[in-house]
Order: sequence, then C-alpha cells, then structure tokens
Amino acid sequence: METSAAAERKVYSVAEFNRRLATYVGRVRDVWVEGEISELRRSPAWGTVFLTLKDTRTGACLSLTMPRRRFDSIEPALTEGERVQANGSLSLYEARGEVSLRAGTLERVGAGDHAAALALLRRTLAAEGLFAPERKRRLPRFPRGVGLLTGVDAAARGDVVAAIATRYPAVRLVIAETRVQGPWAPGAIVTALGRLSACDGVDVVILARGGGSFEDLLPFSDERVVRAIAGCAVPVVSAVGHEQDEPLCDLAADMRAPTPTAAARLVVPDLDELRAGLGRSRQRLGAGTGRALERDRARVERSRERLAVAPRLLLERRRSALDRSAARLQALSPRATLARGYAIVRAGDAVVRDAGTVSAGGLVEIELEQGGLGARVEEVRP
Amino acid sequence: MSEPSFEELQRELDEVVARLERGDVPLDEALALWRRGEELHRACVERLDRAELEIEELRLGDGSGRDSEPPGG
Repeated sequence: METSAAAERKVYSVAEFNRRLATYVGRVRDVWVEGEISELRRSPAWGTVFLTLKDTRTGACLSLTMPRRRFDSIEPALTEGERVQANGSLSLYEARGEVSLRAGTLERVGAGDHAAALALLRRTLAAEGLFAPERKRRLPRFPRGVGLLTGVDAAARGDVVAAIATRYPAVRLVIAETRVQGPWAPGAIVTALGRLSACDGVDVVILARGGGSFEDLLPFSDERVVRAIAGCAVPVVSAVGHEQDEPLCDLAADMRAPTPTAAARLVVPDLDELRAGLGRSRQRLGAGTGRALERDRARVERSRERLAVAPRLLLERRRSALDRSAARLQALSPRATLARGYAIVRAGDAVVRDAGTVSAGGLVEIELEQGGLGARVEEVRP
Repeated sequence: MSEPSFEELQRELDEVVARLERGDVPLDEALALWRRGEELHRACVERLDRAELEIEELRLGDGSGRDSEPPGG
C-alpha cells in the first residue's frame, strides 16, 4: 500500500512548490482589504515599507508592503493604530512561503480620520491605565537638573530658559532639540526623552512645543511617545500646543502646563520664596533659642529665690521651736503660780513651807505676782 | 562625600527649628542647635547666592556624528 502510494505521489521541493504557489497567489489582483495598521516598519534605506494589517476584532493579520515613495506621499503620514483600506494584489515571498498584499493604494477609513484614530488610541491607552491619576509622580521640589525637550529654534526653549534663569538658576538645564513634526518625530522624541532622562542629575523633563495645527501636534499623540512618557525614568511635564489640543502626551505626563513658561515654574521653586522661607526659619531659630534661654533663666531665678528664703525659713523654724520651749519654761515658772494668786513666803533665804519654822514676832518676806511685802508674824498656827 | 544638596540642607534646617521649637531641649543643646541652624541658614543662602544657570546642549545622534558637547565649546 504505502509503496504504491509513494510511487504515485507527486512530491515538490519547497522552492518549486512555492514557485507554483506564487502563480496562484499572483492571480489575486485588485482586491481591497480593510484593517488597522499594527506594525509599521519603514527605513529610508529600504525601498519598501512593511506593515501588518490587523483585524481588531479577531486579531487576524495580513502582511502588507508598499513602495516607500508611494507610502511617503500619503498626507498626513500614516501611523500605527490607524484604520485603512488597502488595494493591491497578492504576492508570495517565495523564500519564506509568506503571502503579502502588495498595495498600491492605502486609504484612511472614515475620511482620513486622524481624530477617530486618536480617540481609539486614547481609549485603548486609558483602558490600560496609562493615564491613571495614581500613576502620576510628584515633581521634585529641588531638581538638580532639568531636561528640556523641544523643537529646533523653538520659542518654547527661550521661554523655559528665561523662566528658570529668573526663578531658580540653581540647576543644570540640559536641552535636547529634536524633530517634533513629521513621520520621524515620534522616534526622535522617544530617543531624546530616553537620553535626557538618562542624564546624570536630570530629575525632571519638560516637553515643550508651541501651538500648531492638529497634524503638527500628532507626533505628541503617537503611541510610542505616549508610552515613553509614561515609562520615563523621571517625571515629565508636558507643555505642548494649546490647552484645547490635549494631545495624548498631556494625559500621560505627570503634570501638564498651559505654556512652556508655566512648565518651568512648575519644575523649579521660586528663589524669592525660598529666601523668604529661609529668613523665617532663621527667625524661628532665634526665637526658639531665645525661649530655651528664657526658660532656663526663669528656672535659675526660681532657684535663687528659693535659695534666698531658705535661711529665713530655717531661722523661723528655730524661732518657733524656741517659742515652744519658752512656753514650756513659762509653764514651769513660779511666776505663773503667783499670777494665779499664790504667794511665796521666805524667812531669811529659806522658803517657808512649815508654820513651825517661824516664830511669832519674826520677820518674813512675802513675794506676790507684783512686788512683795515685808511682814511680822503675829501668830503661829502649826 | 559629595556636597549635600540644597534640599538636604533646608530639610536639616527645618528639623533644627522644629526641635528648638518643641522647647524640651536642654540649654546646651539648644545653643548647639542654634549654632547649627545658623550654619545651615548661611549655607542655604550661599547656595542661592552663587546659583547660576548652567545650560548644556544634548546633541542627539542625528547623523552629524556629534554627541553631547558643552555649550560655547
């Protein structure tokens, strides 16, 4: 069975198969295919531009090629994420057996609708959380260096330099001038942003671009640029176009400023305010020290007062002790007894306690509380 | 090591002030803090006084073969 089947087989080499296949594939001419540009590879060194058309719903892909000159003549330039209708014929790249649509025409779907493409990209990136407020980083209060990404000879550059020079010149300003318009702008911006943020000491980057037409500002809504901003190593302040333009870079940036000058004000502190703040700090320093001194002086004062009253207290304590002793002494003194109406009778030096020790007609001294009496004994009653 | 940044100096100054204002530091320490604070204040002001904007152009590889070079060079 197998041998006979093998004998009947027509077996092609891959090259021959592909060659034959190419003739079939080549018969598919003048077809229209619609899809979204998902991969765009273009190099000035290549005569052909390579893209992938993608069906956004199913994810199905088709390779597409177009002569570079033809592709470059499309205005405004096509970018990834845009929906297009391609017209051309199929061809097989025989070396790889890959089919691609060789397009002669590429048309934007929806009347060349950049705005729709932008809205779609905006929704996609927003859904990814790229614009989420919690992603926003705080700007450094005192950047050592500021990176400025701007177009060549842009007025924006002068504005930023002037604002920083007057407000807070204590920084290094690293300026990258780059293309900000045309199909090369997104790549150039991404490169410049990477280089700037990698500069030693650059703590924040300003993206500045004056106003322009909707198309002029498109590079700042390019997906690569928006992602590069969101993923930038340092915070990014966006000052691109006018307020109403709202390019996507504004949404991805950590902060947006209405003008380049305003962006400069955001990234550096104000020298005058700093000086005033330092002055206040110094005042508080003096006041704080003064209070510490005052507090200790008061403490010393209190100690001195207590020291001063200490001896008097001691004296008073002694005095009152003395007074108590005196009172007790007093209580024991015969004077107190005399005060109560008693009298002391003496005969000569001796106190008379017994009537029998004196005789009638003898002399006695009677001591009273006040004064005394010299008396003669009239009668003795033992 | 490298010079402290203005931010670091200012933060230390703020800390010194805050400690002094808490008012529970002994006098010797308060005086030491005050001296340190004055020193920091002076350093901060000096920093601001001698600040000068330094501008550097970043040359991007655009086929001209030049790279980063200092201004006016």
